[in-house]
Amino acid sequence: MKKINYIIISVLFSLLFIVLYLSLGNEKIYNTQDLVGKKISEVEINLFQSNETFNTKELTNNEFTILNFWASWCGPCRKEHPNLVRLSKIKNLKLIGVNFKDEKDNARNFLRENGNPFDILAEDKNGKNSVNFGVYGIPETILIDSELKILKKYIGPLNIKDVNEIRKIVKK
Amino acid sequence: MLSKLGILFIIGTLFTSLSIIFLTFKELKVIDNLIPSKIYKFSLFQLFFSISSFFVLLLAYILSDFSLVNVYENSHSNKPLFYKISGTWGNHEGSLLLWINILVLFSSLFLFLTKNSDKSFKILTLLFQNLLIITFLIFLLTNSNPFSELFPVPLEGLGLNPILQDPALAIHPPLLYIGFVGSSIYFSAALAALISKIDSQSFAISIKSWVLVSWFFQTVGILVGSIWAYYELGWGGYWFWDPVENSSLMPWFVMTALLHSILVLERRIGLYSWVIVLSILTFTMSVTGTFLVRSGILNSVHTFASDPSRGLFILSFLVIMVFSSIFIFFKFSPKENKKYSVFSKEAFIIANNWFMIFFLGVVLIGTLYPVLLDTITGSKISVGPPYYNLILAPFLIPLLFLMTSGPNYKWISNEVRSLFNLVLVLSVTLFLITFFLIKEKNFLINLILFFSIYLITQTLFDFYESFKKKNINISRIISHLGFGLLIFFIYINHIFSVENNFNLKLGETKKTDYYTIKFVNLEEQSIKNYKSIIGYFNVSNKKNFTSKELRPEIRVYDKPFTITYEASINSNLFSDTYLTMSNISDTDVFNIKFQVKPFMNLIWLSVLLLSLGGVLNFFKRKKYEKN
Amino acid sequence: MLFKKVKIRLSILLTLSAISVFLIFLVFKVLEDNVLYFYSPSEIKNTNDLNLNKKIRVGGMVKKGSIQSNETEIKFVVTDLNNEIIVSYSGTVPALFAEGKGVVAEGRLRDKKFFIAKRILAKHDENYMPPELRGNLNKDAK
Repeated sequence: MKKINYIIISVLFSLLFIVLYLSLGNEKIYNTQDLVGKKISEVEINLFQSNETFNTKELTNNEFTILNFWASWCGPCRKEHPNLVRLSKIKNLKLIGVNFKDEKDNARNFLRENGNPFDILAEDKNGKNSVNFGVYGIPETILIDSELKILKKYIGPLNIKDVNEIRKIVKK
Repeated sequence: MLSKLGILFIIGTLFTSLSIIFLTFKELKVIDNLIPSKIYKFSLFQLFFSISSFFVLLLAYILSDFSLVNVYENSHSNKPLFYKISGTWGNHEGSLLLWINILVLFSSLFLFLTKNSDKSFKILTLLFQNLLIITFLIFLLTNSNPFSELFPVPLEGLGLNPILQDPALAIHPPLLYIGFVGSSIYFSAALAALISKIDSQSFAISIKSWVLVSWFFQTVGILVGSIWAYYELGWGGYWFWDPVENSSLMPWFVMTALLHSILVLERRIGLYSWVIVLSILTFTMSVTGTFLVRSGILNSVHTFASDPSRGLFILSFLVIMVFSSIFIFFKFSPKENKKYSVFSKEAFIIANNWFMIFFLGVVLIGTLYPVLLDTITGSKISVGPPYYNLILAPFLIPLLFLMTSGPNYKWISNEVRSLFNLVLVLSVTLFLITFFLIKEKNFLINLILFFSIYLITQTLFDFYESFKKKNINISRIISHLGFGLLIFFIYINHIFSVENNFNLKLGETKKTDYYTIKFVNLEEQSIKNYKSIIGYFNVSNKKNFTSKELRPEIRVYDKPFTITYEASINSNLFSDTYLTMSNISDTDVFNIKFQVKPFMNLIWLSVLLLSLGGVLNFFKRKKYEKN
Repeated sequence: MLFKKVKIRLSILLTLSAISVFLIFLVFKVLEDNVLYFYSPSEIKNTNDLNLNKKIRVGGMVKKGSIQSNETEIKFVVTDLNNEIIVSYSGTVPALFAEGKGVVAEGRLRDKKFFIAKRILAKHDENYMPPELRGNLNKDAK
């Protein structure tokens, strides 16, 4: 009797823990990965340093472009920043940083402290433009080609594996 | 500087904890009755180191030392001092440090305050408690270090979220932590009792105070948490069956069950294994709750920035904890002596335990079901409050009835008592008066109201009786009275709550069934770091011609851009009038949420009364021990 | 004597198991009745056997420039970037309800393109949205 209880209880707990473990790695509902393969919409974004705007159409001039959405208040952005600096050394890849709902001074300080890897720095003061790119939270990074097609979408901070993957794609 | 000092103290705590584990392990083989003074010394050092590390973090927050990532991300030099202090535990890393402090504090207190107990029991408890401490220290150092440095040092911090600046929100986490982290000590003690095979009575006596302390803090913590939800979230509710609320309620059920069954164990009547299971279950529930909240698989209004690696750590810890407990329990399962009979106090206490476990099961299923379903079938669901209300409400009736009659039975007896007496007659009369006053039609609600009135009258009667006989079990009476009143007021509040949603322009008047609401004036003010739009409303009651002025606010903060709606609440003992206004897309139309909620303050007071019983019991025990 | 004891035990055991089975049945029955399923606009479009009488939750983002309000109701479009649905609501919106923000509406579908909300939920924490939280808007009941 004792042994049976022992086994039953252990098995029940094991099942529960397995489910909890699986749920940890579970895909969540707002998966914007299916945007991959689609073209990004043409949007006018304000530039960070001046009052001019920038149209995403102009990105057709670049072979590959990375759009990175970041802010100084976002912890993971700080973590991924060195990886962006690494990416900025790749020749046929342009980096566009979109500063998301941020204070200008904080953003400037952030770049002064961590380095500025961006070729073009844009801003999205109220977070409305980023919606057009399917951005829900930051950091988020989108890799597009010269036809404005989305090749890859990274949700959350870029890690070194992502950097290598981008390197590979760009080299082809 | 502070970062290095903090890490130094953490390492100190780690070192002393390891030493205690080593020493206690060695001591297990020594057969005498003396705990070496070395262990006491190390325990004191451990306490010193861990409290110091916490004070270092606190100091970093007070001085706004942004060289610490943690301070930088969660504080701001413009924050009021009170919120700088509460910022220390308002984030994952800091709260983990507080966890460890409570684990260490309870470990030392147990060592120094438990007297005349079996040596191997004490030593083993200390060993298990320090194993818990070590695990959490490793978690802190490898994954969630509050002392991580940031270079170059930023000039200003990031955290100034106005929604999170609220006194009730600031103080309720420490209260809850003392409650459910405090339960760790009787978890350790339960495992130690199994292995050292101490007799049931001394086990019961040695853990009772700890159960009382953690139960008290848990109760008050839940109370303050729901007061925060009521005032700050602006919805007019006080309990939402939110996963975080559930995970604080689940340990509470087990603690309440434990509190009652210890009474049986204390008198050597039985339930030894059961009390041990409950002791283990309390801390298990606490860790499970922490896992659900921090891993991000469930999210709720009380957001902690989550991280799957944290979830994995807590889950692994939970797995090891549960399986080693199961293993130890079955290997060393204690001998029972069963003496209980059907119509006795212990039978009623066992019934209480069944109810608590049932409530625990219902809440646990409601909380976990969405996670299970999501993992297995992929459908996203949420379990709404109706589930809890529908299932729990009918079971309140037998519970209230058992609480009414149970306490007057004797231990180990079989004497059946007559149910018809003066109290019942009085309760029926009181209920009929209530019924004619409120004219509630729902049968179930009427039954609940009747049984809560019955419980209240019976407890008051018991109070009078025992006062005459001079053997007052005041703590039980106060707690049961508090519970009866709580249920009564919750239902009265439920019946009489009025809620109206409507849109108004300045100068307009809205008439509802009982109230007339006039939008009198609108004022704009610029205050320190926000712009405030204040509405002046005149609410008059058509029945008794009283009128009140309410001033809800819309606050627009610019750093970071946030809008908060400040409800205006006119509160007195019998009723709260609650008004929130919001403005949609800059038109001149304001959306008004108007609520009248009777007896809110009496609900809070009932819970306070319930917890007061715990305090009284604690001090009564101390007195009893001295004599 | 011994036989009597066994009989009593057996009857207790049977009653207990009957009660537990009943309770478990009850809990899951009530649970199933009170569960709110969560759909994105695309899922609504692709699901054929939707029950229009059952309360559900719809989640997505409030489309830019779509909020219209008059004296009695607010109308806006919820999008998941692939598909959209119109939501109509009368009542107080939460503090963090805004265009371009995540939103969850609770209510009933009138048809596949029109949703009548009884309650609007918005994220509590505005700034920090780590990736693994993003899907959890639905569990954000207040």
